[in-house]
Amino acid sequence: MDITLNHYLAVAAVLFVIGLMGVIVRRNLIIIYMSLEMMLQAANLTLVAFSRFNHHIDGQIFVFFVITVAAAEVAVGLALIVALYRLRQTTQVQDLTTLKF
Amino acid sequence: MNSLSPLLLLLLAPLAAMVAIVMKAPAQRTAAIAAALNLVLSIGLLFLYHAAQGGYDFVMDCPWAILPGLPPIHFHLGVDGISLPLVFLTAIVSFAAVVVSPGNIRRAPEYFCYLLLMSLGAMGAFISLDLFFFYIFHEFALIPTFLLIGIWGGQNRQFASFQITLYLMTGSLILLAGLLALVMAMPPDARSFDITTLQTYLSTHPLSLASQSVIFPLLLIGFGILVGLFPFHSWAPPGYASAPPAAAMMHAGVLKKFAIYGLIRVAIPMLHDGFEQWKYVLLILLLGNFIYAGFVTLAQKELPTMLGFSSIMHMGYLFLGLVTWNVIGLTGVVILMVAHGLSAALLFGLSGEITHRSGENRFTELGGLAKPAPLLAVLFSFASMASMGVPGLANFAGEVMVFFGSFSAKLIPFAAVAIYGTVITAIFQLRAIKTIFYGPIPARYQPQSGAAAGEATGMTDLNTLVEYVPFVLLTVASLIIGFMPFLLLHIVEPSVSLLPFLK
Amino acid sequence: MDLAWFLLLAPLAASIAILLNLHRKPNYAIGASVGSASVCFLTALAVATGAVKAPTPFEWISVPGLTVDIGMILDPLSKGMLLVVTGVGLLVHIFSIGYMAHDPSRGRFFGGLSIFMFSMTGIVLADNLIMLFLFWEGVGLSSYLLIGFWYEKESAAQAANKAFVCNRIADFGFMLGIITFWWIMGTVSVDPQILGQCYAKASMPQFSSTLQEWGAAQTLILHPGGISAHSAELVTLMVVALFCGCIGKSAMFPLHVWLPDAMEGPTPVSALIHAATMVAAGVYMLCRIYPILALSQAGMFLIACTGCFTAIFAALIAVQQNDIKRILAYSTLSQLGYMVMAVGCGGPDAAMFHLTTHAFFKALLFLAAGSVIHALHEEQDIWKMGGLWNKIPLTFWTFAIGMIALSGVPPFAGFFSKDYILTVAYTYGHGFYWVGVVTAFLTAFYMTRLVAVAFFGPPRTDAAKHPHESPPVMTVPLVILAVLSVIGGWGVYEFGIQSYYHNWSLDVLRDDGISYQAPAEISSAVPSGFVFFGILLSAFLYVNTASDPLNIPVLARKFYIDEFYDNVLVVLQQICANIVAWFDSWILEGLILRGAAYLSAGLGELLRLFQTGSLQTYAYIFTLGGGILIYITLFAH
Repeated sequence: MDITLNHYLAVAAVLFVIGLMGVIVRRNLIIIYMSLEMMLQAANLTLVAFSRFNHHIDGQIFVFFVITVAAAEVAVGLALIVALYRLRQTTQVQDLTTLKF
Repeated sequence: MNSLSPLLLLLLAPLAAMVAIVMKAPAQRTAAIAAALNLVLSIGLLFLYHAAQGGYDFVMDCPWAILPGLPPIHFHLGVDGISLPLVFLTAIVSFAAVVVSPGNIRRAPEYFCYLLLMSLGAMGAFISLDLFFFYIFHEFALIPTFLLIGIWGGQNRQFASFQITLYLMTGSLILLAGLLALVMAMPPDARSFDITTLQTYLSTHPLSLASQSVIFPLLLIGFGILVGLFPFHSWAPPGYASAPPAAAMMHAGVLKKFAIYGLIRVAIPMLHDGFEQWKYVLLILLLGNFIYAGFVTLAQKELPTMLGFSSIMHMGYLFLGLVTWNVIGLTGVVILMVAHGLSAALLFGLSGEITHRSGENRFTELGGLAKPAPLLAVLFSFASMASMGVPGLANFAGEVMVFFGSFSAKLIPFAAVAIYGTVITAIFQLRAIKTIFYGPIPARYQPQSGAAAGEATGMTDLNTLVEYVPFVLLTVASLIIGFMPFLLLHIVEPSVSLLPFLK
Repeated sequence: MDLAWFLLLAPLAASIAILLNLHRKPNYAIGASVGSASVCFLTALAVATGAVKAPTPFEWISVPGLTVDIGMILDPLSKGMLLVVTGVGLLVHIFSIGYMAHDPSRGRFFGGLSIFMFSMTGIVLADNLIMLFLFWEGVGLSSYLLIGFWYEKESAAQAANKAFVCNRIADFGFMLGIITFWWIMGTVSVDPQILGQCYAKASMPQFSSTLQEWGAAQTLILHPGGISAHSAELVTLMVVALFCGCIGKSAMFPLHVWLPDAMEGPTPVSALIHAATMVAAGVYMLCRIYPILALSQAGMFLIACTGCFTAIFAALIAVQQNDIKRILAYSTLSQLGYMVMAVGCGGPDAAMFHLTTHAFFKALLFLAAGSVIHALHEEQDIWKMGGLWNKIPLTFWTFAIGMIALSGVPPFAGFFSKDYILTVAYTYGHGFYWVGVVTAFLTAFYMTRLVAVAFFGPPRTDAAKHPHESPPVMTVPLVILAVLSVIGGWGVYEFGIQSYYHNWSLDVLRDDGISYQAPAEISSAVPSGFVFFGILLSAFLYVNTASDPLNIPVLARKFYIDEFYDNVLVVLQQICANIVAWFDSWILEGLILRGAAYLSAGLGELLRLFQTGSLQTYAYIFTLGGGILIYITLFAH
């Protein structure tokens, strides 16, 4: 059985949906954050897949940029979460309601 | 005509005073000096103005901005016999308002800056001959009104300041829509913001009846809200009741007249067919001012709200004079605007003094104050008599001309209601005098048992020069106009006669 | 400057000086006020002799279509009235020096008197209706100040308010009348010549039928378009409206209620109000504009009826009053009724005649009553007096002369004027005559009752046992007025009043065919007989009685008019006011205005529910929305 573009896209879609469900359902900030990353990787996977099947190198280059930026973003995001944890001793979203009215 | 005009000084004086106050000059004194300068200047202008021929004088006109899609905006100043008395009114009431304010009020620099800004806005609106500045200057004055009531007001100041501001802003937005519609309804090459140009053009090339009958009600409602035309009056009584006395004096005395002035200057001459079509609506609404507001005034139990409603009621005379649109009635309107400004400022200022000194503003709790505070009683009586239209004070001359004007415009039933308004005014004003000043003195205003007789009563009179000069000044102004209305008439009448479409 | 201006300027200057400074120095204030009154009287004398001419008027209001001058009319009518006003006024001033000697605020009192004199001379001299109205209101204002002089007393403050409001209600009509007059005639002048022209033009036959043709008389009409075919009704309305002013100022029924209450002021003020100034102003105004009133038969009939009714109505009330000033107050009402009836019956000269004589004896009666009250230390109830006649003889004799003159006993002043009025009334309608005669009987009855109870019989209280006669500064004015009350009827009519009215042709005064001559079938003996009967009956009933033999509650309670006004009209008005105020604060401001605010706020509250603040909810909704979009774009076709 040939591995076609659709297989890649299906995997990416599954990955995306798992990430989305994680973002929506989970209450722990770190888990939400990891789920978010998972959605990003799903997007990366589609980009690579399209790049491979369309014989066009642009998508792969783009993915490198995304990975770089995501790494920086992870650094900032995790740092924020750690700072928040130090302040509040929790990473549960339902406990962080200061900005709600 | 690009020469500078003395009118510019009227605007620069408060501006300079505001800058000085921000630079830590003594607030009340600086403000008072600026206001006094304006007063002297405006009296000078009354004498210098070429009264006999009417029309605009002290004109200056320089281009200010060109916005795409709009006609050019000019900084165009000038006064005629209609606006000059109002300039005088603004100056004298501003001076009185600054001087009656307590010097030790908290955040004094800010307070006096706002007061000056209010005066500046009113003054600017009356001397601008460009629709843009005419509108903007009035808006300038609304913002300090909000702040003065909200920060220095009495009971319910939060509520009152928001209500008055939201209401008046709604009015001025409707007004803005009307003004823009007026300009935009004209053919593109004739469009202008210049009031004189507009007036000349529109009196010869009136807009189509269809557009006039749409634009006029916009202006009528906009101006009507600003002046408290029934049923758009609800902002006034609570607003005036909780405003600091100086702000109430400025707003009821001066700023409200802006709307009547606008109707004389802009709405009715420029949209005369629309006016003819809508004037019956206006007539019915002004009956509301007389009868409805009159009865509501009768039922008030506190002095400031009573005065608030009475100032609404007295707008009826001004509207009636406007509807006549003849020389007698309109001249009466201008005189009455000045007269009512003086008497309303007096009443609100004195009501502030009464409330402040006695700590009470409910009629049931007041009484007998003529004994401890005779000067206050005399001045309050003068103000009430003015408001009732007793001859010898300014209001009578204006009112009687409005009555004559409305007869000659065949508005006899309306004139009858208006004359009946003087009866209602007499009833509530006399009742106020009686309950506040006459009768036995309540125990708490009696001299303290330990103190020597005549000293240390719970109630004090206006004692120092600074305390009574502003009120005496306003009273004397009203008396002079009342005894010698011809002084003002020969300034007003020629300019009124130049208005278009007079009957 | 013309000397005549002193008539107005002297009292004005005095009152301003007192307002500014002199009220703190009572003796200077008295000097200023009495001095100004003397200047007025002297100027009035000079004017009356013709030595001083009318000054040139100046324009007070002048706009196209409406010109109001401040000027003076000096004709026999105003000259005579001027003498009465300034003369009686001066005597009241002098009397007040003694009467108010112990009041700490007498400076303020004399200031009020000066404003009063200023306003009243202004009314007398006014050469147009607007100027008349200016001073008319000034009289109302000064009476307000003086009635409320003892403002610490609740009743005085109330009475002052009542006087002002009653006058205001009447002035509402008066103002309407003035403006209608201007609208029809195109002028506000009351110059006799102009009024004569108005009368002549307006009484042309066309006037009452259709006034479209009246365009012929364009010289007088400013607003030809304003006159409609209903002009006869319009003229009647104008006359009635002008008469309204008189109803208030001269206290005719139904606005008479303020005058008896005006007793709350110091007694000299009552004398001034009742005799020389305020109430006289209404009658004077009617006489001044008489040719205009004569334009409407219906209006004249109404005036006559109002006067006639007030005359007998007030006389009936006076029969059962116990306060010495109140009896005199109701007698003033009754006499004013006579005068107004005379005007309505076509005899303004008779009205002016009675006004003049009445000014003498009513001022005398009030001042003498003041002297009695002064003697008894502020006692006003006649049933607490008694036996005074030999203890304060001067006061008694002057009071008695006033009473006889008021009753109309020949040959005192009141007899001539009252007789003349009755003659005029007889020619107009016999009913009016008989009501007048009955009123004369009642007048004699209640005045005798007053004198019998207050001055004769045993002293009923301790104060009445030891009265003290007033000082000369108070008694001298009484004597002068007493002399005038005796001789006042002999020359006054011929002196000025008659000549004034003879300037106009007869038909201005009365319908053609009615002459001045007294009809042969009536004689002065009839009313005089009634008067003597009244005096005798009353003397029989009241001399030496300890209590009132008559007890008629409906008269003692003044026909319940005050109760009706206080409990029905005032309450109704207040109920209306409260209903409207309730509507304003709950419906207009509450429901509509605050309703709009609450509607916005409520919508906001509703929409707020969507803003949970939970990121995950937003993500979920976002996803849902995205999913729906994708579904629509891909599969909805």
